[in-house]
Amino acid sequence: MLPDVFKSESIPDSQVWRSRLVIKRGCRLLIEAASGGGKSSLCAYLFGSRTDYQGTLRFNSTDVRTFDIARWQEIRRSHLAYLPQELSLFPELSAWQNIQLKNRLTGALSDSRVEELLERLGISNRRDYPVGKMSIGQQQRVAIIRSVCQPFDFILLDEPVSHLDSGNNRIAADIIVEEALRQGAGIISTSVGNAISIPDLSSIRL
Amino acid sequence: MNIISRLLRKNTSPARIAGFILSNFIGLAIVAAGLQFYLDARSLWESEDSFIKTDYLVVNKRVTSANTLGAEGSRSSFTQAETEEIVRQPWVRSVGKFTAADYKVYASLNQGDRGMSTYMFFESLPDEYVDVKSSAWSWKGGEEVPLIISKDYLTLYNFGFASSAGMPQMSESIMSGIPLGLRLRSEDGNRTEEYVGRVVGYSNRLNTILVPQSFMDATNATLGSGRDREPSRLIIDVSSPGDVAIAPYLESHDMEVAGDKSGSSASYLLKVVTGIVVGVGSVITLLSFFILLLSISLLMEKNRDKLHSLLMLGYPLRTVAAPYCRLVVWASLGAMILAVVSTLLLRGYYLPPLEGMGASGGGLVWSLLATVVISLAVILFNILSVRRKVRAAWRF
Repeated sequence: MLPDVFKSESIPDSQVWRSRLVIKRGCRLLIEAASGGGKSSLCAYLFGSRTDYQGTLRFNSTDVRTFDIARWQEIRRSHLAYLPQELSLFPELSAWQNIQLKNRLTGALSDSRVEELLERLGISNRRDYPVGKMSIGQQQRVAIIRSVCQPFDFILLDEPVSHLDSGNNRIAADIIVEEALRQGAGIISTSVGNAISIPDLSSIRL
Repeated sequence: MNIISRLLRKNTSPARIAGFILSNFIGLAIVAAGLQFYLDARSLWESEDSFIKTDYLVVNKRVTSANTLGAEGSRSSFTQAETEEIVRQPWVRSVGKFTAADYKVYASLNQGDRGMSTYMFFESLPDEYVDVKSSAWSWKGGEEVPLIISKDYLTLYNFGFASSAGMPQMSESIMSGIPLGLRLRSEDGNRTEEYVGRVVGYSNRLNTILVPQSFMDATNATLGSGRDREPSRLIIDVSSPGDVAIAPYLESHDMEVAGDKSGSSASYLLKVVTGIVVGVGSVITLLSFFILLLSISLLMEKNRDKLHSLLMLGYPLRTVAAPYCRLVVWASLGAMILAVVSTLLLRGYYLPPLEGMGASGGGLVWSLLATVVISLAVILFNILSVRRKVRAAWRF
């Protein structure tokens, strides 16, 4: 596949664009790219929010272009977790409300499990604080917790730890690996430099 | 209010929603009140004659002294050519011919030891022009013959004849309760038939004694002379009773309209005025619809990022659209209830004087139905627009 904007450009040695890539459940993939390499575009294609690409994207050998909105919404609730780079939190809601907005929809995690994750990432004291007033790093941690509040076959993480110190990076990685292992799911992460510290990541170039 | 509603209703402008409710209420109230007034006032002109519609004109030729003297070329009947010419007029939907009885009729009324009898006559009209329930207005041989007589005849009897002849006065219902003995005799006097008739209705606009067409055809066949007679009266179904072309045409062809036609032009005027009022109300309603449409669109545009984020979380379209749909439904229902209440209040003010003028109020069904249907249409189209916008927010 290839994004429409790259149509007339030459892409040197990409393992994704203009090539065939199969991603399986249980994988641990790090997609490395320079800024502007189409990393967020790839995530948007995988998550169904954009279709401006050439080529074919298949889930279980079904072309995703044939999915209707209801099918995509079902995929987003139960098969594909996504942490977007821009986080997409609601600034006027508290950390707790932001997380529960997803968790209540899927019923995936118990309240105590959410409390535990907040505790581990060191933001339990910001639980009822409006997200808009938090630092980017704190917001990123809220968004990481929210992204695992659902059953998934793959978790798609777009620059998940770009604003985290190495300690929080490791904790975030642990949480994601825990949830992925529990569900037998694959992890797909992107990075322009500060990669998430998940062990055994196989790296491919975009 | 749940968290999604709180998120998505942010940036709601109470002033714009109030503006919609007010204008939608005004529009609906004008439509409903206009329709209701029409239904209530209509009976002032239309209630009296249920046998022929106001769209029907009964015409005959003006009788002049030439007719009396039997002068050449003066005839009071309509030739086939004349009838066809009337049919060709643009304001004519169809023309029906009156059939006159081709025999003599002798009617007698017996009640106890008192009775009276008189010569009379019959006419008939094609059944589609007589607005009576088919069961009452049919004759298949054997049973009683239904009659519709002019209300004037009863008045003449009650106030002219009965008082001077020492006969009892009769109400419409008493008159209808008494069977009439009818003796029909051919013109040459050789054949006679007897029937029992009963008056089933009184008309203001038919100056005749009407029998069903089937009875007329049967008796003319057995008692008539067999001559083909031209009708002396026609009934015209006009497309609009207020058409200005009608009066000059009738005048120039020496024709008269039976009964009072001022009622029909007044009711036509009422229709026109109601049409204008309802039209204005509809335009206001339409504008209010656009106010709501634009307010909701603007609100959704402002909250587009939130809509998109919620959809990215996997919320179904329905859930995300729900807060806006609820807003549309409540605002429209509010306006509708206000409109219905104010229409009822307004009716409370105008109905007593109207009833004093002799109107019998019409039902509430049609104006209420119109209000509900319009409100449902406003709700439906706004919900469709909300859904379209949510779908648009689904993609980036």
